[in-house]
Amino acid sequence: MNNIINGETIGIALFFIGMYGLLARRNIIKTIISMGIIQSGIILFFLTINYTDNSIPPIGKNIEKVTSDPLPQALMITAVVIGISITAVSLTMFITLYHRYGTTNWYKATKKRGENI
Amino acid sequence: MIQLYFFILIPIIIASISYLFKTRYNKPLILISQLILFVCSVINFTHIKNNSPITSILGNYKAGVGIALKADIISSVFVMLTIFLFTCMIIYNFRKHYMNNLFLFLFLILQGLINGIFLSMDFFNLYVLIEVSTIVVSILIMFKKDSRSIYDGMLYLLINIVAMTFFLIGIGYIYKIFGSLDITIIQDKMIRVTDIKSLILPYSLIITAISLKSAVMPLFSWLPRAHGTHSSPSIVSAILSGLYVKCGVYLFFRIQNMFSPAFDTSTIFLIMGFLTAVVGFIFALSQVDIKLILSYHTISQIGLIIFGLSLNNTYSYWGSIYHIINHAIFKSVLFLTAGIIIEEYETRDIRQIRGVFKRMPFVSIFTFMAILGITGAPFFNGSISKYLIQKGSYSGLMDYGFILINLGTILSFVKYLSMFRGSYDGKKYSPPFNQKIAIAMLGTLCFLGGIMGIELIKFLFNVNLHITLDGYLIKSLLYIVSIILGLFFYRFLYKKIKLFNNIREINLSFNQICLTITIYFSIILTTMLILEKYNYI
Repeated sequence: MNNIINGETIGIALFFIGMYGLLARRNIIKTIISMGIIQSGIILFFLTINYTDNSIPPIGKNIEKVTSDPLPQALMITAVVIGISITAVSLTMFITLYHRYGTTNWYKATKKRGENI
Repeated sequence: MIQLYFFILIPIIIASISYLFKTRYNKPLILISQLILFVCSVINFTHIKNNSPITSILGNYKAGVGIALKADIISSVFVMLTIFLFTCMIIYNFRKHYMNNLFLFLFLILQGLINGIFLSMDFFNLYVLIEVSTIVVSILIMFKKDSRSIYDGMLYLLINIVAMTFFLIGIGYIYKIFGSLDITIIQDKMIRVTDIKSLILPYSLIITAISLKSAVMPLFSWLPRAHGTHSSPSIVSAILSGLYVKCGVYLFFRIQNMFSPAFDTSTIFLIMGFLTAVVGFIFALSQVDIKLILSYHTISQIGLIIFGLSLNNTYSYWGSIYHIINHAIFKSVLFLTAGIIIEEYETRDIRQIRGVFKRMPFVSIFTFMAILGITGAPFFNGSISKYLIQKGSYSGLMDYGFILINLGTILSFVKYLSMFRGSYDGKKYSPPFNQKIAIAMLGTLCFLGGIMGIELIKFLFNVNLHITLDGYLIKSLLYIVSIILGLFFYRFLYKKIKLFNNIREINLSFNQICLTITIYFSIILTTMLILEKYNYI
């Protein structure tokens, strides 16, 4: 059982929870939240893919013990930054959209798109 | 030889400087720097052509640790094309009022990012570049702040980000299997993978994202809205449709190439490409908005390119790559002239635009050249690339499929041509000088690319291809027959088919597009698993 519950599977589970949010929720805010969930799922996934037990951080010289893989962590710092900026940009766009369309619902916004407002 | 990171960094630095110091001479200075950059790219291209591909690793780390940039002959040609097209667009838009510092800032950054996508060999770096360029493109789409374009821009941004999460999790699996994110290293290690089944999941994840980026069949519904939205500047439409979609196609054949030692999925994409092309022209036939006709037409051509790339034949492979360049050129001309026509007539409805030829002869001539190019008329660039693609489709069925695609292209452009007829008595319109230069330059290239096609391919890609005269003549005859068929179809049949009216207003919402992405992913995954089980791939 312990083998199943690790960061990797939880990461993928979070990914699919986020996907469900994207598929089933019509609220634009919830869409943006779902994308945040997917982002954190992916970050968890990346951080645990090459995880080995009892490893130490690769800091200093002449390390004899097993070190953890630093590359995914470095990548994920970038992914976090990108995730934050994407959330910020989409929220800003959402505010403008809300001012124009007056709705938080994808379906209503799609219907209103054809009209001149 | 010029360092490769210059092509990514210089446009971004120039953009930042010109945004910070708002002088009167910004635009001429940017133009000069563009020309210098173009010369640099030509120098690099000749160096690569005569020697071997250049690889440079950022920060002087060893290969596999640092981010690798690689310019082989295809990517250096694409970098040249990118800089050339952006220069043309800046010339075209030189005096437009919305072309302010912010617009130029975003536009030049986009250029750097596209160059980066063509040069980068590191998966995570590609992810970052694509993600940032998505944000830049979505801001450019909604630049005029029309309420419709705000919706379109936001939809574009969110859909592409959802697709890129698939890409990111896919490269996570790749990293788990190979312990590296460098495309060259992964390609070398690919032969040694014994358990091919483990590669199927990352492949399907990555290819789903790439398919959305290059608008393969069920995943294209974001494209017409992003490329043909109301009030989006016409140079942005031209760059998006001509160049930015090609980043997806470029990544598509890079990734197919990377996975080729493990499995061969060209049959799947042969079918997908064919379906994309057919669906694209059916939608293009149904539209009445001229920008939407052009953007659905892009989908059809993308389908053709993917069809050609998946044929596994040298001729059709180079034909497709040449078609990418040709499509970039004639689609830019078409979008630019469509922008002029829309501005002058103040409508986008093709049924209300009449007498363009009498009203703006200069624009019409070059639009004609581009249309002849895109439909594959003899002596124009489209004919060469389409001939080469067709030469690769050896078996009978594919040949008929190809003829059907080309017939569809011609049909949709017969409709587009209808707006040139009609009379007009008023004052003639002639575009400003700078716009004339840009359009004439690109339009003439359509013609030059046709009469010197084979020499150009030899010059650009170092490959020797032959065109037989009788084959070319048969193709020309076929073209004329198709034109006549198209005229008949449009005259007698078009209005009777109800389908076109029904699909005109199809508008998928965000949730439905997400659903199509998921369905596409699961279809690719299950097909691959089934094929793997019976050892077909």
